[in-house]
Order: sequence, then C-alpha cells, then structure tokens
Amino acid sequence: MTALFKTRLQRHLREMAKYLRLVFNDFFVFALLFLLGGLGYGYSNMLKTLRLGVWWAPVVVLIVLTIVAQIGRFATLIEDADRVFLLPKERAMHAYLVAARCYSQGLAQATQLVAVFLLAPFISVTMGWTVLSIIELGVAQVILKDTLLRMDLASAYQVTGQTRMNRWEFKWVLSLVVLAVGLWTLPLVALGLAVVVDAVVLAWFSQHWQSQQIRWREQIKIEDNRMLGIYRFFNMFTEVPMLTGTVKRRRYLDGLFKLIKPRHDHVYLYLFSRGMARGTEFSGLVVRLTVIGMLLLYFVRGAWLPVVLAALFIYLIGFQLLPFFQQYDSVVFTHVYPILPAQRMHSFVTLMTLILSVTALLLWIVVAIANPHLITAGVTLLVEVVEVWYLARIYTPQRLTRSIENRG
Amino acid sequence: MALEVSHVVGGYSQIPVLKDISFDVKDGELVGLIGLNGAGKSTTINHVIGLLTPHQGTITLNGVTIQQDSQAYKQQIAYIPETPVLYQELTLREHLEVTMMAYDLDHEQAWATAHELLKTFRLDNKLDWFPANFSKGMKQKVMIVCAFLTQAKLFIIDEPFLGLDPLAVNDLLNLIEERKQKGASILMSTHVLDTAQRYCDRFVLLHDGQVKTEGTLSELQAALPEAGESLNDIYLSMTKVDRA
Repeated sequence: MTALFKTRLQRHLREMAKYLRLVFNDFFVFALLFLLGGLGYGYSNMLKTLRLGVWWAPVVVLIVLTIVAQIGRFATLIEDADRVFLLPKERAMHAYLVAARCYSQGLAQATQLVAVFLLAPFISVTMGWTVLSIIELGVAQVILKDTLLRMDLASAYQVTGQTRMNRWEFKWVLSLVVLAVGLWTLPLVALGLAVVVDAVVLAWFSQHWQSQQIRWREQIKIEDNRMLGIYRFFNMFTEVPMLTGTVKRRRYLDGLFKLIKPRHDHVYLYLFSRGMARGTEFSGLVVRLTVIGMLLLYFVRGAWLPVVLAALFIYLIGFQLLPFFQQYDSVVFTHVYPILPAQRMHSFVTLMTLILSVTALLLWIVVAIANPHLITAGVTLLVEVVEVWYLARIYTPQRLTRSIENRG
Repeated sequence: MALEVSHVVGGYSQIPVLKDISFDVKDGELVGLIGLNGAGKSTTINHVIGLLTPHQGTITLNGVTIQQDSQAYKQQIAYIPETPVLYQELTLREHLEVTMMAYDLDHEQAWATAHELLKTFRLDNKLDWFPANFSKGMKQKVMIVCAFLTQAKLFIIDEPFLGLDPLAVNDLLNLIEERKQKGASILMSTHVLDTAQRYCDRFVLLHDGQVKTEGTLSELQAALPEAGESLNDIYLSMTKVDRA
C-alpha cells in the first residue's frame, strides 16, 4: 500500500512539474522577482518605523499564523475508482493514508517555517523576543500543523453523520487558542499545549481507526476538490484539460435571458448566453479579469498607461473567450439541428460584442473616476469602442472560420 | 420513398467502415437496423444525420441531399442518440425551448405537445432541473420528448430500449406507432431482437459494414429457411456462417 502511494505520488509530482514549468515561465519569474523585491523593500522600510511594544503586534502575529496554519491540505491522491478496486483492502489502506499524511507534511510544514521566519524580524522589533523564543514559537506552530493534519487523517475514518474532527471551526479555534497562549504568556507554554493536544488526538485516533470504515465517497470528494483548486490555479496560466467547471443556476439572470426572443435565428444566442453565464469556467474568467482590470486601473495614473491597460484587458478577455465557440461541438444536436452555421457564428459575435461592451464600460467608468483629465477618459472610450468593434465583429469571425477550416 | 441510402461507402477516417451500403425507409414504415457491435449501425446513422460525409454514394431524404440544402434536409430529421447528450447549462424547460426554436415550431402548439409527452414520461414536475440531476433513463426520456416534439418526417432512434423502464418502453412504442400512422418514417437500431421482431415492418441486417440481407420477417424466413422462425435465430445463423 505504501508502494501504491509512492507510484501515485511520482505520477502526481511529474504532472505538477509539467504545469509548474508552464506557470513559471521567464516572464512570470521576472514579474515575481520584482514583486518580491518590492514587497521585501516595503517590509524592511515598515520595520524601521515600528517601535517596541505596539499593542497590535501580537494580534497581527496571531492572525497571520492562524491563517498560515490552515494552509497545506491533506493530500491523499485517492481516486474515484479506488472505492471499487481498493474496497477489499480497506484495513491496508491505513498505511496508504499514513504515507499520504507524511507527504502532506512536507509542503505544509515548509509553509509554516517560512511564515515564522518572515515574521521573526517583526516579532523581534515589536515584541522584543529572543531568537530562542521565536524558535520555540516556530516549533509550536509546526506541531500545531501536525495536529491539524492528524485531525484530517482521523476524519477520513469517522462515521458519516458524526461530528468530524476536521471541521474548520475546530481547526481555527484550536489554532487561535494555542497561538494566543504562546503570544500572551510564554512561547514555551504554547509548545507544551501543542504537544499535549497532538498526543491526545494521536491516542484517540490509534484506538479508534481499526473499528471504523473509511469514508470513501467523502475522501474522494475532498481530494477531487483539492485537485480542482490546483488545476484552477494552473488554468490561469495555461490550458488544463481536466478542468470542466461546474454549473450554477443563477436564477437572478433569468430576467436578462428573457430579452432573447425565442426565434429560430436565436437558437445559439439562447444556448451560448445561458451556457456562458451558468458555466463557471468562462464566466469566472470574465469576472476575474474584469475585476482585476478595474482594481488595477483605479490605482494607475498617467496619460497613456490607463488607455493601454484597458485595451490590454479587453483583448485578454476577448481572446480567451474564443474557445467557447467550440463548447458544444461534442453535443450531437449542435450538428443535427437544422440551423445554418452562419447563424451560429452570428450569435457568437453578438454575444462577444455584448460581453466585451459591458467589460469596456466598467473599465471606462473606473478610468473616468480615477483620472481627473477628461482627455484620458475620452481617449480610453474611443480606443475601447474601436477595439471592441474590431475584436468582436472582424477578428472573431475571421479567426474562428480559419480554425474550422483547419480542422475539417 | 422517405430515406434512400444508395451505395454509401464511408467511415470515420479514410479506411471505410461501410462498404457499399444501400437500403431505404418508406413513408410510414419502421425499419430495424440490426447488427453486432462494430457492424456499422452507428456509422450508418451518423451518415444519415449528416455527422459524417460519405466517401461515395448518396443519401436522399424526400428528394433532398444534405449537400443540396442542409437546412431542408436536417429539418426533416429527429434523432435520439444511444447515449443521451444534453447541454449541461440548460434546464429541461430550456432544452424543449431550444428544440422548438431550432425546428422553428409554433411555441403554443409545441408546448401543448410537450406537456403531454412530459406527463407520459413522468417528467412534468422536473422542468427546472439540470441534466446533472437526471438519471440515465431520465436523460433518455428527455431525448425522446425533444425528438417527438418535432414534426419530423424521419425519426432516427439509436438503441432505445436499454436503460428505459418497461413502462417507458411501452410508451415509446406507442409514440412510434402514432407517428407511423401520420406517415412518418422511423429508422431504429437495436439489439433487443424480440421487441424489434414484433414492431418493425422491415429489417436491414448489417454485418461487417455490409447489408447482409433486408426485408420483412417472412422474406427473411423465406431466404433462410433452415435458420429458424424468429429474428433471433435468423440473425444468429447469419453471423455463424461468417464465423465458420
């Protein structure tokens, strides 16, 4: 069973390495270095302005460390088929899960240590702690994380319907209590408390797991969600084939959809608009990029920079929406319905114009608010109108027609 | 002559799966397309619904080919796939509406038909459900309701009997019968031979991409006198010859 986990882990790490290479491309690393450099510089400047004994310092440390303690999930690498194929091996799965927890420790504990390391100068400046005290706090944090992961492991066995140990409320309260004790009394006390709690959980678990069943369905769901989160992150940088997105009803949009009259030439507008809005994949992309764009434009000043940024965001959104045209190619009715392909294209162009216009309007409003000069706002509006028109009406049909020809 | 498939050679790639296939389906006729897995049933259907283009030969539907006028050709077809496919982001109600829009149906009249069909298949209280919440059988029923909503001249039904409950099978057969009376043609592929034997007017027996025989049950019995009485026997003996 440990061998099974090892082979799975290797496959998992290979896959992660493949995506990480794509994420950390030259451009991104460059941007990241700048960002980290800037943040580090800002942090060191801020430290210089602080004095010993500011009252809110331990509160900040408490909040930061409590949040950090929740980072790093229990990675089981369990797959859907396991509940059929590994069911006869349920008792032996324990070794597998223990190996999984062992692996999960790596990244989780590294995160804890980095967090404590980064906070160390802040603690020493504002709270006057010695290096030894900070190390004690670090060890307490690591043991705390160990307990949290142990609770995740124990919860894999708990009976459905039973209150589970790894409820987020329990985790947060435990972290808050242990860390608060350490910050307001002595770090050594927190260390002792963490050890006691860890031992209690360990003792309870080692007595109970033999008589319990693994909660296969829940564990599979948890692992699926974990992987989904990872894939979502990668999806911001590159195409991830495993990501299909989910469907939300979004009843509040029904009024908008009603505006599309049920006519023969509106079949695809009807389908595309609902598919786009209710599927989380593309709607999420549009919303994310629009919000990021609006935030960025709010803080950016200058004569030309807002214009360029607004144009860039509209282009990014428009470009990433193009694959949606093929979204329903796998549904046979897309080909069987008596509808001319030209109508499908026309509907897509209409939808594209609509979405990009709304985005453009939102971005423009922010530019108009953030920049007192009427000229900047005016130029932005002009550029946006031309861009939306060209991108949706000229470029989209051209490019999609070409890709259809290439494929068929 | 509703559907006429004439000397069709075709398949998914350059290697042909169908080797010179010819058969027809007349108005008001239910033709069973019978064959083993991989015999070419689905490939034939994919050619008829226009998903694949034949390398050679023609497929004519009431005098129109898909090359001449794809919209007029497709307008006449309603298709029920073997594996139900639905738009994940549309509710049942919206699927019906899309079908009405696509086939340019009169909405009031179509909804009247729809409500009747929904009631028959016990889906009338699930109009706001998403496909993700339907079981496989329910999805199949949605496909049936969507297809029989249309006034198609040719219904193409791919293996309808597996996965449906007995009541639904019975209702489907009644629907088919009703449309036949109105002059619609039906091409149906299936493995459930005893049902096929009772309901189909004629059979096309496909084997290894070729039409082995075709005709009514009595014609088949006359052609293979030693094979046996039932469609099942005839079919087994036919494939056995090939295996020997």
